[in-house]
Amino acid sequence: MEAPQRTRQPVRIVICPNCSLSLRGAALFFGGLCLFCLTLAGVLALMGMWPVLPFAGLEMLLVGWALHASLARRYRSEIITLTESDVSVESRDRARCQLTVFQRHWAQVKLRRPASQLHPSRLTIESHGRQCELGSFLTDEERYGLALRLQRLIGRINESPSLASGPK
Amino acid sequence: MAETPHTEAHAHAEHDHDHKPHGWRRWVFATNHKDIGTMYLVFSCIMFFTGGAFAMMIRAELFKPGLQIVDAGVFNSLTTMHGLVMIFGAIMPAWVGLANWMIPIQIGAPDMALPRLNNLSFWILPFAFVLLLSSWLVPGSAPAGGWTMYPPLTLQFGASFPMLIFAIHMMGISSILGAINVIVTIMNLRAPGMTLLRMPLFVWTWLITSFLLVAVMPVLAGAVTMLLTDHFFGTSFFNAAGGGDPVMFQHIFWFFGHPEVYIMILPGFGVVSEIIPAFSRKPLFGYEAMVYATASIAFLSFIVWAHHMFTVGLPTSALLFFMFATMLIAVPTGVKVFNWTATMWRGSLTFEPPMLFALAFLFLFTIGGFSGLMLAMVPADFQYQDTYFVVAHFHYVLVSGSAFAIIAGVYYWLPKWVGRMYDMTLAKWHFWLSAIFFNVLFFPQHFLGLAGMPRRIPDYAVQFADWNMVSSIGGFVFGLSQLLFPYIIWKCVRSGQRVEGTRAWDGARGLEWELPSPAPYHSWTIPPTEAMIARGAEH
Repeated sequence: MEAPQRTRQPVRIVICPNCSLSLRGAALFFGGLCLFCLTLAGVLALMGMWPVLPFAGLEMLLVGWALHASLARRYRSEIITLTESDVSVESRDRARCQLTVFQRHWAQVKLRRPASQLHPSRLTIESHGRQCELGSFLTDEERYGLALRLQRLIGRINESPSLASGPK
Repeated sequence: MAETPHTEAHAHAEHDHDHKPHGWRRWVFATNHKDIGTMYLVFSCIMFFTGGAFAMMIRAELFKPGLQIVDAGVFNSLTTMHGLVMIFGAIMPAWVGLANWMIPIQIGAPDMALPRLNNLSFWILPFAFVLLLSSWLVPGSAPAGGWTMYPPLTLQFGASFPMLIFAIHMMGISSILGAINVIVTIMNLRAPGMTLLRMPLFVWTWLITSFLLVAVMPVLAGAVTMLLTDHFFGTSFFNAAGGGDPVMFQHIFWFFGHPEVYIMILPGFGVVSEIIPAFSRKPLFGYEAMVYATASIAFLSFIVWAHHMFTVGLPTSALLFFMFATMLIAVPTGVKVFNWTATMWRGSLTFEPPMLFALAFLFLFTIGGFSGLMLAMVPADFQYQDTYFVVAHFHYVLVSGSAFAIIAGVYYWLPKWVGRMYDMTLAKWHFWLSAIFFNVLFFPQHFLGLAGMPRRIPDYAVQFADWNMVSSIGGFVFGLSQLLFPYIIWKCVRSGQRVEGTRAWDGARGLEWELPSPAPYHSWTIPPTEAMIARGAEH
């Protein structure tokens, strides 16, 4: 039996990664670390032990890359809005903002497992030959949870479950 | 690409909160922090027994004077490999394993920040140790110059030399990758509301440990690379004949080596700071002081390296500086010991195995600290240098400080990991056998050292025979009693009594205890609430 429809307001899901480190904090942290480690390596290099310096430099590059890779998350966000008729996905990152709209009745959610487990899974909303990838910045388990939630809200192709009974 | 079927199976999977890969792929391609943590801990356990087997052979040889079991060369290889395997193969991976398991769930993060890097940092390790251990099979046998690799002795090794250097590089890369992952995870993936001064002390101590690792690992990498180029490419960094200075190696080795000691101990401080409040049913006394004390110890660890080399002929001013700087470490360490004791003061104490091991840590580590103060005094150190007193000191610090803390941590968190309680009686047997025979093993070594027995010798004068026999008996029982540990874990996983509710221990606090037991394969995919964080941060 269908649940009574309490509301027909759109369902809005905002996906943005949690970042506890601010850019300023990251810069200060990385600068301080570089200053300490490279000064140390520099002093040792001046004393004739120059092989320490390239290792310290390489390590700081690695720390910088790791921070950059982790901080890149903070610019990403996706807003999925579900109405009775449409599913719209607004994807934002540092450089762009893109809006993709699907007809909810014909849209379907797919979670693709990669051929190799070295690669992440891919979550897409698809309809009429178009597709939009979601949650690429999430972990595999977070992406899996999102896929389950969207599958319940959007339904299979040629289905439009009531939004009123779905989770908000 | 294989497509996920859109079936009801997914709904079940969500209820189980599982969806984990199966078979060998789960482990080889692991990116889940709990899987990687488990692999680190299993690897560490294997290395602990490998290094332990070397120790048993050392103690068997030293059971009585004369050469009975191995020749002098093999004995030197045994002491060298025992040190390398225990430090780089057992203790450090065990801490990284505990960090992998606990840090994300203690800060409310779904996983480590860089999961694939995490996989890589683990899988480097087995190859590094296969390389290192296979050096027993090459001409000239395994490295025999001590884990400190001092030139010119180390430069005289045979085919095992480049294997040692390459293995050290691989272990270093693994450590650095692990440390970077820990730093980025703690800095960037804390749940909203989990401020720095709300973090559990295990997370704090690991953050500081990671900084130490990042700071000193390039120094070790540079040092062993210079050894390599001296050996194969005709450089003279440490070759006096070419204008180099072998003592300089000692300076840079110990510039790495002393912080390395704290790398092995600071996470133990964190574990004990979690356990003592839990079994005292009281918040930790002086949480912020503990954080600052840990940071102070880490800072001081950079300016005390030369106390390992007082006898090389340092200027008096340097001797005085390093002596006083070393003694200064007693201040923040004293703060810690005082705070742990004050936490227990008028608490509702119970003595389950994690608490017993934490108390043994507290008591025995303090003894190791006191013998460290004796060694810090330059005139006394001139007498103690390279004797069994030093061996006793660093085993009191490292076995009770690191190994006991690791065991305490495993006993504390195991019910959360597997959702089952282990056999308390057996675990208490494990504790009492370990605590008693640890002292039978190492305490007489103080007497041997004070009487003048040098370290790293396979044979000795008959005057040292009695205490060596006692020490060896202690070693055999201590070593054999450690076999109980994997058995207790195996029995717990197989048939332990199921843990009801989220808390295995009624006094336990922290985000990990807000999760169901066993901790779900995917935890904190929805961040913890402010109330959960506040409950855990009742310092």
